[in-house]
Amino acid sequence: MNKNKEQLLNKRYKAEKRFRLYGQSAIFMALLFLTVFIFKIFSTGYSAFQKTWLIVPVTFDAELMMLEQNPSKEDIQDADYYDIALKSMADLDPNANEDQENELKRMVSYFFEKEIKNELLNDPSLIGKTKEVYLTASDDLDQVFKGNYPRDLPEDQRRVSDYQLKIFDQLVANGKVESKFNISFFTNADSREAELAGIASSFMGSIFSILVCLMIAFPVAVLAAIYLEEFAPKNRFTDFIEVNINNLAAVPSIVFGLLGLGVLLAIFQLPRSTPLVGGITLSLMTLPTIIIAARASLKAVPPSIREAALAMGASRMQTTMHHTVPLSMPGTLSGTIIGLAQALGETAPLILIGMVAFVNTIPGSPMDPAASLPVQIYIWAESAERGFVEKVSACIMVLLGFLITMNLFAQIIRHKFEKKWS
Amino acid sequence: MTEAPHTVKSYEEELKNLNANIIKMGSACEEALGKAIQAITTRNSDFAEAVINDDEKIDKYEALIEQQVVNLIALRQPMAIDLRETVTALKMSSDLERIGDLSKNISKRTLLLNENLPKNLVDALNRVSASVQKQLKSTLDAYLERSAPMAVNVWEGDEQIDDLTNLCMQEVIKYLKENEKNLDDGTHLLFVTKNVERIGDHTTNVAEQIYYLVKGEYLEGDRPKGTEPIVSGEK
Amino acid sequence: MIKIKAKDVDVFYGKKQALFNISLDIEENQVTALIGPSGCGKSTFLRCLNRMNDVIDICSVKGKILINDFNINDKSCDVVRLREKIGMVFQKPNPFPKTLYENVSYGPTIHGMAQSKQEMDEIVETSLKKAALWKEVKDRLHEPGTGLSGGQQQRLCIARAISVRPEVILMDEPCSALDPIATAQIEELIDELKKEHTIIIVTHSMAQAARVSQHTGFFHLGQLIEHGSTDKIFKNPDNTKTQDYITGRFG
Repeated sequence: MNKNKEQLLNKRYKAEKRFRLYGQSAIFMALLFLTVFIFKIFSTGYSAFQKTWLIVPVTFDAELMMLEQNPSKEDIQDADYYDIALKSMADLDPNANEDQENELKRMVSYFFEKEIKNELLNDPSLIGKTKEVYLTASDDLDQVFKGNYPRDLPEDQRRVSDYQLKIFDQLVANGKVESKFNISFFTNADSREAELAGIASSFMGSIFSILVCLMIAFPVAVLAAIYLEEFAPKNRFTDFIEVNINNLAAVPSIVFGLLGLGVLLAIFQLPRSTPLVGGITLSLMTLPTIIIAARASLKAVPPSIREAALAMGASRMQTTMHHTVPLSMPGTLSGTIIGLAQALGETAPLILIGMVAFVNTIPGSPMDPAASLPVQIYIWAESAERGFVEKVSACIMVLLGFLITMNLFAQIIRHKFEKKWS
Repeated sequence: MTEAPHTVKSYEEELKNLNANIIKMGSACEEALGKAIQAITTRNSDFAEAVINDDEKIDKYEALIEQQVVNLIALRQPMAIDLRETVTALKMSSDLERIGDLSKNISKRTLLLNENLPKNLVDALNRVSASVQKQLKSTLDAYLERSAPMAVNVWEGDEQIDDLTNLCMQEVIKYLKENEKNLDDGTHLLFVTKNVERIGDHTTNVAEQIYYLVKGEYLEGDRPKGTEPIVSGEK
Repeated sequence: MIKIKAKDVDVFYGKKQALFNISLDIEENQVTALIGPSGCGKSTFLRCLNRMNDVIDICSVKGKILINDFNINDKSCDVVRLREKIGMVFQKPNPFPKTLYENVSYGPTIHGMAQSKQEMDEIVETSLKKAALWKEVKDRLHEPGTGLSGGQQQRLCIARAISVRPEVILMDEPCSALDPIATAQIEELIDELKKEHTIIIVTHSMAQAARVSQHTGFFHLGQLIEHGSTDKIFKNPDNTKTQDYITGRFG
């Protein structure tokens, strides 16, 4: 009898140990996946925050620029830079033939003309003089410089010719290649050229979508939650509504995308590809999440508070507005932020309503066409150029940063207010 | 007591115990009184000494009951019937203790008497004593039965005791007047008679307590009184 | 003088009857205690008096409850006005999670009882003084009320209840969550308050009912078994059920 008991006790302790081990290994696995994922993203993405510049001497030859004596600002603006730009590049190798000159030109981005122009606009006194100008290297050379490009491939399989590499190596040897923080990644809109592509458009697109989503979903959801929780009679009809709100939260997001496409674009004729439509679609998706969070936090307000207010002679409306709703706000707000964070990461519905279109301008309002961060990731991931690979990871990093900030914010709100009122 | 027992069994036990002690104390008093009366009427000093010795037992009962009552009040906070039960027990015990004391006093005086007493006087003393004994017995029965009517009977019977006491007093006075030598014994006998009457009063007190215990209210009206005591020379 | 007169009050929760034919008179400026085992309907009856049962959808009240000869179950009775006149203190201290000042000033604010900040300050001060809390909290009126001890919180709730100068104060087991010292303070307060208010208190503690009340009503299974002076109920109740309950003999 006693021995049996001891055996049983041992068995129970062993079972407990085993269970703890399972739990620990599960957490270990999860952490492992996360680390691998983050390591992968960071190791491929960090280089996107650096940009390679070629330092090229440019002679601002007034004649080649078709400029007269003492040109006005407008004249400089309208001047022709193509020739001096071309000449500057060609001068890198005085012995180059015409084909080679073309190859030299392709060592920098097609934006090089503008970069030279900006230099002169900043300092008009440069006319007739020579100055070393920073020119954006082409995405392929950028990758070569970052060491991401396999140089030992046969020449016909890579986009950088041996000749380009030779000149590039010379420049590197002369210290004429420099790597700097990639500001344009944050300030440029999308571009077909990887070296010029930035996230400004999609970032603003995401922000506008989230704002529209917040402005629509939050008031509607909170009002719905308050009504259902505080005022609606408990009967079959409200039960039915409750079940359907929960169902709505489980509907796949692509269905909302189709709804946006079919209703907002087709029937209401709202402008395609805009954060407005994106935001409305996302708000449909976020609505049930916020309603559920708001109802839960309204439910969590102790009934004793309601009773206290009612017994003081407050009307139902006063009880709700003076006490219940303010007390439920921290929960509601953090629920809202988590809902918005979900919406922020949503891709499928935005693709359906056309926010996947190539947008090379930065949107100034929710009515302008824009992409969004997750869609941008999708677009870049589809692109063939090697330069976009690191951009995808960089964009993921930005998106993750955004989400973490929002969740942190939600936590802070919850903590700050709950401490004060409980 | 109501039929339903207390939820807390030890409380129930304590009340029962208190009850039992009151009854034991009551019978001890009954015995003391009986023996004291027998001692004086049959001039039996053994009985008288037994009463004197047994009084200690009665005093101990009183102390025990008092302690139990204080404990009950402090620890159980009795309410309603239980409260009356406890409070009544306290008051009853002090009345019973007085009965014991008075019996003892009678016995002490018995030992001091030397002459044979006239038959008339002994008869009168017997009558009043028997009546008081009967009263005390009925009172204890009323307590056992928790009977208000029985208590009222006792209460009303006090009148008769007063009358019998007066008759007995007259006999003692007569005895005193007969001879100067009777002065010592007569004085003792006066006190004995008075003591018997006092026992009757305490018994009536107990009966009142029982009435309160059962009914929760006090007996209304003045206590019945017998004829006024007769002063010597009158008549 | 009779302040509240309940006449044949029945209460139903859905189909289940919770109170049967309750008739009870409550004296003005006295404390009436309602006692009885859990679920006997004493709290339900208390909540009839300020119509807190309205909050429960399935609860329906029949019969008359006359307060100052006015039937509060009448359709013409305005619940908000009624609850201004009849304050309530609950079992668990439930101060609003706001400052002490806001807690006490809430009632006067919603009922528009103060014209100026000064007037409001006065109301808050007198209410807290009457609730015997002023000395302890006068320096921290703008700290959250939830930071007080349990007993202080309950006194804050009493201050909140009396801030609108109700005629009647209902107390639903106000000391059940408090320690004996805090309980004694509340009981002392009840004694003070009955000079200006009619008080009805539901309590589980027989000793408390005996200590604070002048009248006691005993409820059992939804019926008012016995009511009368506290003296009588605790020394010599008429009904054996009452006796069995208060002496601790309940089967």
